[in-house]
Amino acid sequence: MRRLAAETAVIGGGAAGTFAALELHRRGVKPLILCKGLVGKSGASIFAGNLVVPGRLLGNTAEQARDTAEFLIRMHNHFLIDQHYARAAGEWIEREYYPELERAGLYLRRDDRGEIVTNDGPVRCMAAHSQGESGVLFMDLRRKQVLKAGIPWLEETAATALLTDADGAIAGVMALDLARGEVVAIATRAVILATGYADRFYPRSTATREMSADGIAMAWRAGAELMNLEIQWWHTSDVRFPLCWQRTQIYPNPIIGSSHSARLYNSDGEVFFDQEADAPTAMGPYTLQLKRLAKQVLAGKARFDGGYYSSFTHIAPNTVSAYTDYAKAFTALGKSIATDTLETACSAHYRQGGIVVDPARMATRVPGLYVAGGVGGHSNGLIAPVTYDGMLAAETVAGDLPRLKPAALPEDKAAAEEARLQALRRSLPGNGVTPAHVKKALRALMSEKMGFFKNAAGMEEALAEVTRLRDELMPAMGLANVTPRLNYAWLDAIDVTNLLEVAALTIRAALNRTESRGPFYRTDFPETDNERWLVKNILTPTANGDPNFRTEPYELPFLKPDFPRRESLEVDW
Amino acid sequence: MAERPQVLAGARNLGRDDTGDSPAARLTRLKEGDTVTARIFCFDPASDAAPRFETHRVPYTKWMRVLEVLTYVSEELGGDLAHRWFCANRMCGTCAVRVNGREVLACWEPVEPEMTIEPLRNAPVVRDLVIDRTAYERRVVALTPWLVRQEPYPGFPEPLTHRAMAPTARALDCISCMCCFSACPVVGLGQETSFAGPAPLVQLARVALDPRDGIDRGRIALEHGAVFDCISCYKCEEVCPVSIPIVTGAIEPLKALAFKSVAGKSRHARVFLKIVQARGRIDPSALVLGVQRLAALRHPLRIFKLWRRGKIDPLKTMLGFRLPDIEQIRQIYQAVRGGPR
Ligand SMILES: Cc1cc2nc3c(=O)[nH]c(=O)nc-3n(C[C@H](O)[C@H](O)[C@H](O)COP(=O)(O)OP(=O)(O)OC[C@H]3O[C@@H](n4cnc5c(N)ncnc54)[C@H](O)[C@@H]3O)c2cc1C
Ligand code: SF4
Ligand code: SF4
Repeated sequence: MRRLAAETAVIGGGAAGTFAALELHRRGVKPLILCKGLVGKSGASIFAGNLVVPGRLLGNTAEQARDTAEFLIRMHNHFLIDQHYARAAGEWIEREYYPELERAGLYLRRDDRGEIVTNDGPVRCMAAHSQGESGVLFMDLRRKQVLKAGIPWLEETAATALLTDADGAIAGVMALDLARGEVVAIATRAVILATGYADRFYPRSTATREMSADGIAMAWRAGAELMNLEIQWWHTSDVRFPLCWQRTQIYPNPIIGSSHSARLYNSDGEVFFDQEADAPTAMGPYTLQLKRLAKQVLAGKARFDGGYYSSFTHIAPNTVSAYTDYAKAFTALGKSIATDTLETACSAHYRQGGIVVDPARMATRVPGLYVAGGVGGHSNGLIAPVTYDGMLAAETVAGDLPRLKPAALPEDKAAAEEARLQALRRSLPGNGVTPAHVKKALRALMSEKMGFFKNAAGMEEALAEVTRLRDELMPAMGLANVTPRLNYAWLDAIDVTNLLEVAALTIRAALNRTESRGPFYRTDFPETDNERWLVKNILTPTANGDPNFRTEPYELPFLKPDFPRRESLEVDW
Repeated sequence: MAERPQVLAGARNLGRDDTGDSPAARLTRLKEGDTVTARIFCFDPASDAAPRFETHRVPYTKWMRVLEVLTYVSEELGGDLAHRWFCANRMCGTCAVRVNGREVLACWEPVEPEMTIEPLRNAPVVRDLVIDRTAYERRVVALTPWLVRQEPYPGFPEPLTHRAMAPTARALDCISCMCCFSACPVVGLGQETSFAGPAPLVQLARVALDPRDGIDRGRIALEHGAVFDCISCYKCEEVCPVSIPIVTGAIEPLKALAFKSVAGKSRHARVFLKIVQARGRIDPSALVLGVQRLAALRHPLRIFKLWRRGKIDPLKTMLGFRLPDIEQIRQIYQAVRGGPR
């Protein structure tokens, strides 16, 4: 076991984690970044293709500023967001975020006259270099900023547990350094958890390879509360074939430099979603798109896993290729955006909920545990708000550190965690199964019973099945090769534990929310119920690991839904 | 409206239509029910004396990519193959491997019926197909490829046109996949040169060609990048999965900057220019002599080999061979800048 110490451990190398580390560094605190992937090359952040123009930035009118805030609260979060947080984040993004990025060198795409290119319409967005690629440029910049600042990191190192002391406060982090095959113990009194929110619970998912709900599982075991886990988003226009292009989106967002966007067609060739006409204020009209698809599925004219199509054929090809990389899938397949359509399918996108935090401070109820970005339950972030979280978490940690006890690694807990990890690295028993097999079984059952259309009976079956996987399959799990070095199967085995635990919690949360909202739909409770369920669906850990449920209403200071109850498929968000 | 260049253009796809190897043609070469045979490099330097190849047969699925073969092997066929990937969307740039000798992004490359899959070159293997990126990364960092402003930042949005950014725009597509780094024969020479390699130089070009950048990037290209060691063979461009014109769009502009800013040290370029001006075309032995001077004679065996292969012709060099239309070439020099200074 390798031993390290850090003033603050930042877990995650996406937009939230890297910015938290940079901000800590700026404030004179020495962070250590742990990243399961490569910093700036893993997680959802590289996918953030569109950058929303908030507030009065770039000549937004007062109306556009209002529409943008409304888009975030209504279309993007279905009112499940702290509106004070949304306002504070928006102000910071307008005042600090884009100037900081541009000062550091990010190139926001201009035209030849020097105007930043945006789409027309109520909610505008821009792009770094090229629409669709923004996140790559962004994260490349963050990676270099971290390198330049000399902030230490452990890459391809997965945090596996948060260690707490006798008072329940953070005292350390355990991790697996994948390349060396070494367990690492880090003594620290503050952790900023920034592990993102897209996890691979389904056969098709927008989450990158390594995402397996680790942050949620670790925080839960350390005593944090969770909320709104059940609100699972879906991407409705990701390429179906080749199968591995499940994260390659035929973007429904307006193309910058125009007011146009892709259209969706059912199996009869009829248009069933046209963002321009159907959702003019929706910069990312995913929920509406999804509901339209659900109706096609009901009509037998599409399936969630394919049989519908997306294209740009109604738009001049120059308009599409002027400022975007949206043609990339077509081009790589030798197809033309002028004439061809591509078959699309749903991929599970992010989980809206996550760890309960105080969104004014990014602190959890576990002393020393802070959260930034997608893994938090406070908002369904875009890349800009998750960066705000990173800033805020760092600010809070810098202020709290003098009050936190010096860290002493709880040796017994560290030894127990190392023993748990080593026990997972064992040879495949005679009738055993590989961790990849268990992951596959879980994904199959989630897509069958926890897809868009679901009900109590199916979810109860899903829960029983997850329990069976945990109790019967997991004990039979082993590895074809037990080398510690760069053993992805070992990492898979660690992932399985987290995935099964969080899957069970998610199903329970879904059973508890007896309504439908946004992308969350129950056939047995098909109405969006703003009277009873405009609330946080909170899970509190108990001694035996089972959740207790409670709800907490949202304050609605700026924006309220305009109906009490309505069939969810008829709601336009 | 400025149109972005078609991604397909570039050295990468030269001649592919003629050989039936275009992206469209590759969609129909295999069909569902077919089998893909993959010979995959396996090696654990900690325990294996030498690398070996394991052969796997994988069922073809529609428009299958190389990554799907690797995933199938590691997840369905027993589960021990180390290969790196994160996004499967041509964005993270971490899944590059060599397929039948050519660098590709596993997530973006269509499968071949028979494939030999190996790790990238010019980087140590950690295990199987996973290479250690640290040494490469160190070369990138040594070039300080982050913007250092000439003027204080004027506030958002700063005055800047796309026309001014156009020279750097293609380099901004780089996803640091290391394909070009693996393909470059000069990087392959190892310690014999201090050449930074194509990918690090693309990173440098991003800032060097950015009008907002204010430091002497030519000097960095030369002193930390040894940019003149590039032999303009275009191997790098041939494999770039995002079709960056690495030589014409990044390395040559860096050479030009180096030439301008470090007069005494860009010997290679200056000698090259002089020879062409004197003789009408390049003469390799005169070039080596001019650049390395007497040091060039230290390797008689190498000289002999080069001569045997017809790469150099010392006789012509000594006789001062020149093209008949030399005057026309000198006029070009005059027209451009009045000859080398
Ligand atoms: C397909 C897609 C398209 C999107 N489009 C847009 C868009 O157009 N505009 C926009 O603003 N936003 C967009 N988003 C959302 C945006 O990308 C996210 O809000 C944001 O990237 C989340 O950042 P994060 O830092 O919280 O998490 P992530 O970027 O997901 O980073 C998580 C990090 O944690 C690491 N990690 C995970 N587990 C562990 C562990 N156990 N130990 C150590 N490290 C760990 C991962 O390796 C990764 O580095 C999109 C997201 C997706 C998936
Ligand atoms: S052109 Fe230059 S950089 Fe590219 S492969 Fe050849 S020598 Fe290397
Ligand atoms: S220049 Fe091209 S091949 Fe080289 S690292 Fe960048 S994207 Fe990869």
